[in-house]
Parts: sequence; C-alpha cells; structure tokens
Amino acid sequence: MAARSLRAHLLRMLLPPIAALLALGAVVAYYPSSEPTTEAYDQSLVDIGIALGAYIQATPTGYRLELPVAVEQVLRTDRHDLIFYRVLSPSGVHIAGDDDLPRPTSDAQAYDGMFEGRKVRVVTVATPCGPSPCTVLVAETTNKRARAAREFLLTSMLPGLLIAFATLLIVWFGVKRGLWPLARLSEELKARSPRDLRPIDDAAAPEETRPLVSALNGLLEELAQASRNQQRFLANAAHQLRTPLAGLQAHTELALAQPLPESCRIHLEHVHQATIRTARLANQLLALARAEPGARGGSSDVNLRSVVEGEADAWVHQALARDVDLGFELAAAPVKGDAMLLREALANLVHNAIQYSASGGHVTVRTGQRDGASFAEVEDDGPGIAPQERARVLERFYRVPGTPGTGSGLGLAIVREIAGGHGARMELAEGAGARGCKVALTFPHG
Amino acid sequence: MRLLIVEDDAPLASGLSRILEAEGHAVDVTERGEEAVLAASQEHFDLVILDIGLPRMDGFEVLRRLRAAEKPIPVLVLTARDAVEDRVRGLDLGADDYMVKPFAMPELTARVRALLRRSQAHGGPRIVHGPLALDTVARRAFLRNEPLELAAREWAVLEVLLAKVEKIVSKEAIIQAVAGWGEDLSPNAIEVYVSRLRSKLEPAGIKIRTVRGFGYMLEEFKPAPH
Repeated sequence: MAARSLRAHLLRMLLPPIAALLALGAVVAYYPSSEPTTEAYDQSLVDIGIALGAYIQATPTGYRLELPVAVEQVLRTDRHDLIFYRVLSPSGVHIAGDDDLPRPTSDAQAYDGMFEGRKVRVVTVATPCGPSPCTVLVAETTNKRARAAREFLLTSMLPGLLIAFATLLIVWFGVKRGLWPLARLSEELKARSPRDLRPIDDAAAPEETRPLVSALNGLLEELAQASRNQQRFLANAAHQLRTPLAGLQAHTELALAQPLPESCRIHLEHVHQATIRTARLANQLLALARAEPGARGGSSDVNLRSVVEGEADAWVHQALARDVDLGFELAAAPVKGDAMLLREALANLVHNAIQYSASGGHVTVRTGQRDGASFAEVEDDGPGIAPQERARVLERFYRVPGTPGTGSGLGLAIVREIAGGHGARMELAEGAGARGCKVALTFPHG
Repeated sequence: MRLLIVEDDAPLASGLSRILEAEGHAVDVTERGEEAVLAASQEHFDLVILDIGLPRMDGFEVLRRLRAAEKPIPVLVLTARDAVEDRVRGLDLGADDYMVKPFAMPELTARVRALLRRSQAHGGPRIVHGPLALDTVARRAFLRNEPLELAAREWAVLEVLLAKVEKIVSKEAIIQAVAGWGEDLSPNAIEVYVSRLRSKLEPAGIKIRTVRGFGYMLEEFKPAPH
C-alpha cells in the first residue's frame, strides 16, 4: 500500500457526510421556508378569483361573466407571470375564460398543472352565484415562484456551503498544525547521535505522543540492554583470552630462547607471531566493545596532550623496536570525553603509523588547538593510503590489498568508532610533502 | 634476587618463573592470595609479581595486606582487565608497576629489572648502570672503573635520567629537577648538557636517546656483542 496522507484520508472521510448533511439541510430548510411564499402567491390568485366572482351574473338562461375589458386587463396584469382564469357553473359547465385550464382532480384548493405547454399554479375559488356557488379557477405561470425557490435554496444552502468549505480548510491546515508534536519528536530523533540509546524525555512530550514515546523508549531500552549484553560478552571473552595468551607467549618466548634445530625454530617463530597477533586482536575487540554505544563510561575533562604524554613511553619503545623515529609536537588540547577510549584511539593511530613505516621512517604525534578546536593527529612518511582506499580502511577488518605485515584491519575502525562517539571529525590525508599518511581527529568546541 | 609470583594460571606461572629464573633470580610460585600474604610475612622477597584475578582473595586484597606490612616490597601487578579504574585502584593501593596481559617477556623482564634497580638504589649511595657507577655520597662518577669528570649540571641531568631508565623524561621535567631556585634554564641549555653527557658516555656503550619534541630517554645498557 502506498504511503497514505493523513490529510487526504481525513478529507475522504469528511467529504461524503458533509455533502449529505448539506443536501439534507437544504431540503429541510427549503420546504418550511418556501411554504409561506407559496401560500402568499396562492392568496393573491385567490384575491383575483374573488374579484372575478363579483362579475358573475345568474340569468334565467344560465350564468354569464360580465367582465369589463379594463378590469380584465388589470386582473391579468402581473410583472413576471401570465395570469389565466376560467369560470365554471355550479354543475361544472364552462362559462367563461381560458377553457383548457385544467379542472381540479381532487378537492384541493390549489394545485399544479399544465396549460398550453407551461407549468401553471391553479387555485379554485368558490364564489356565490345563486343557490349554489360557482367555481373560479385562477392560474399563473410559475416564473416568480421558481425564482423565489431558487433564491430560497441559495440562501438556505450558502451558510452550509461556507461552513463546509471552512471545515475542509481547517482540516487541511489543522492536520499539519495538529501533527507538530510528531514533527518535533522526529526532529529530536533525527538530531540524536546513533549511539545515544537514552530514553526520550516523555515528560516534555505532548500527551498525544506519549504512547508513541513510551513505545520508542521501550525499544531503545531493549536495544541498550542488548548492546550491554553484547559488551559484557565481548569483554568477558577478551578477558578470558588474555591469561592463556600470556602463558602461550611466555612459553613460546622461552622455547625460542633455547638452542633449537632451525626447522623447529621457524615454526615456533610463526607460533610466536600468531600469538602476538591474537593478543592484539583480543585487545582490539575489547576496545571496540568498549567504544560501542551503551558501553561508554562517563565523560570528563581530558587533555589530549596528557593522554599522549602518558603513553609516550610505550610508543617510543614500539618505535625503537621497528627503528622508527617517533617525535612529538604537543600543546594543550582540552576535550570532553572518556580518557581510556581516547588513549585507545591515539594508541591505534600511533601503532598503525609505526607499523606501516619503513625502517628509518618518521612518525610525529601532534596535539593542540586549531581555530579554537582541539585536535590530535598522527603523521607518518610511510607508503600512505591511496585516496580511493581512504573510506574503506575505516571499515572493520578491511586491509588495503597488498599491505605487508599482519594487522587485523580493526585499528582505524576502532579510531572511527571512538571519534564518532566523541563527536570528533576524523580526516585521512597525505602527510607533509605528499608523502605518507596523516590522520587527524578534530574535536567539537567546548 | 628472590621473587614471588602469585598467579593462578599454571602455564603462565611456570612460563614466568622459568624466564625469571633464566635471568638469574630465585623464584617462588603460589596460586593463592592467602599463601602469598603468609609467605611474604615470613620470608624475604625482593619483588612480588601479583595477578589481580585470583580465586577467593583477589589481587587487590593481597596488595592491601602486603602494603600494610612493615617492609614495603615492590609489587608488579598483572591483570587481564584494563579498565582505568582497575589501574588507578592498583596504583592507589601502592602497586609499583602495572602490566596488562598478555605482554612480551622482554618487556616484563625489563620492568622487573627496573623495579629491582629502583628498590636497590632507593636512597642507596651507589647507582650502577652498566659500566657507569655514581657514588652519590662522594659525588664521584666512574666509567669502566676510571674516574669520570662531570660538571654539576651534567651530574644533575644524569641523575634524573638514571632514575628513569627506559622511560622518557621530558625536558620540562629535567629543567625542574636541575634548575635551582629562581634560575631560568632554557630547553636549549638542557640540550647542551645532554650532548656533553653523550660525548662522555657513548664510547662506553651508554645511549641517551632523543625523543623528538618531548625529551630524553636513557636506554637500558646492553653490552656490545663480542
């Protein structure tokens, strides 16, 4: 089913009953109000009939109408309609007048009929003429009556039409206005960070949207719970892995320190490398789990410079092991965030830079402020990342094809995750002199 | 030196003890916190390597009890957890160093050496670093048993670096440690002292590494292979 417009739906629902009510209202208003007019017009015909009656004379040979021409003219004169008459004797014999004028079919005193192809209104007037009364029929065409009816219909329907029109307008604009709480709710949801699984404040929501808000909150809570469970599982799994890995590493290193046949040593060295890789992977999975929504600790004031200074020892030793020159350009860079996650992010950037630098390469870690925004960046003069690969290297487990070494492809994904969680912008670019790679994290103000 | 390893994972404990024994230490192993506390109260150990995740009495409790004893024994804490709170808690309780599992054995042995050196040198009159020896009482230095002339400032810088072998010491930290009251030492002056120290020490295989933009690090002495 296509997306339905609430407005169209409401209008479709409202239009038939409004139309029906309008029609009914017109009918109900028309008849009672048209009756007095009909009666008044009939009465003026009756008056003509009475006047005509005065000119009937009973003679021994029968009845005659002695109507002077001037009087007839006066009686027949009307501004809108033609007037006809017919005089019948008490026994119903035609005496004078328009002899095709229809006789009454019942004892009604006023009725509609046809005369010379026209609709006419006829009234009967009993007028004294001897022992029993004669009957005078007076008729007129229905021009003014039809006009009066039209006017009545119009005046009785106009208010109804106006009300109906106003109703439709109100529906059209009212729906939009009535839905503003939903619009506001959707704005709020849109503005949310995808990792923000806190419930929506339903105290601030209008009453009508509360059921929706509480349903959404239920869903958010379930999501947060699922996320927490996943965190816990990942964290436990990583923790459980670490101790046996430490044992494995200890024993392989011990074994490698022994005099060994060369064939055996090669295998053992592979085991050792794999152990170190696995250990790093366990650490990274743990970091990723911690960086995910729902797992993050509180946010506090952190100076990126202090974070770097705290880790510099460990990094310098990593760099020395690979004969890489690790340098620092540090200035204060205050941010709000989770110190442990920020440390993890920077450690991953530095680890990557050192890992992908050639022997004798240079890696520089910088912190400070640019345009009032705190930043941290790591620059190397290694092989760099081709522009078309820059988006993909942020994906989990993605490694640039042909990359030497044994990384898991998780490092930059972790950094991206942590940067995203801090609202920081992550940019990959070339290093100085179009060589190597520079990854910069720029944090939001305040 | 006599070391006590408190670790409930048997393969790791045996691996550690073999490696440390190979370094020339006498090593005892226990997998129970209670036993560790008892052993430390009855016998002399130069260093305790303590796992946090022990059954029953956990490492934090062992650490607290060791610290409550009269003689402070250096403690190197091992953990499979690395939440910042754990780290802070461990260091608050007086752990001397902290390592997250898994770790490379050379790093462990280097830290053990550093801790032992620190506890031996603590307040001691003689600091030894490979062929270099400093007699802090007589304020005389020897290199390969030959007297070594050091200016007062050079001596001060060397002392700061020797207190933190294998750790980066920032230029600011050196200035603070070296400059007297009301003195204003520039980072450039420190560079001069370090370069003089280098020219005196490097022929004997003692290396002071520059960490660009940060400071200096006195490397662990490794005898040149013959």
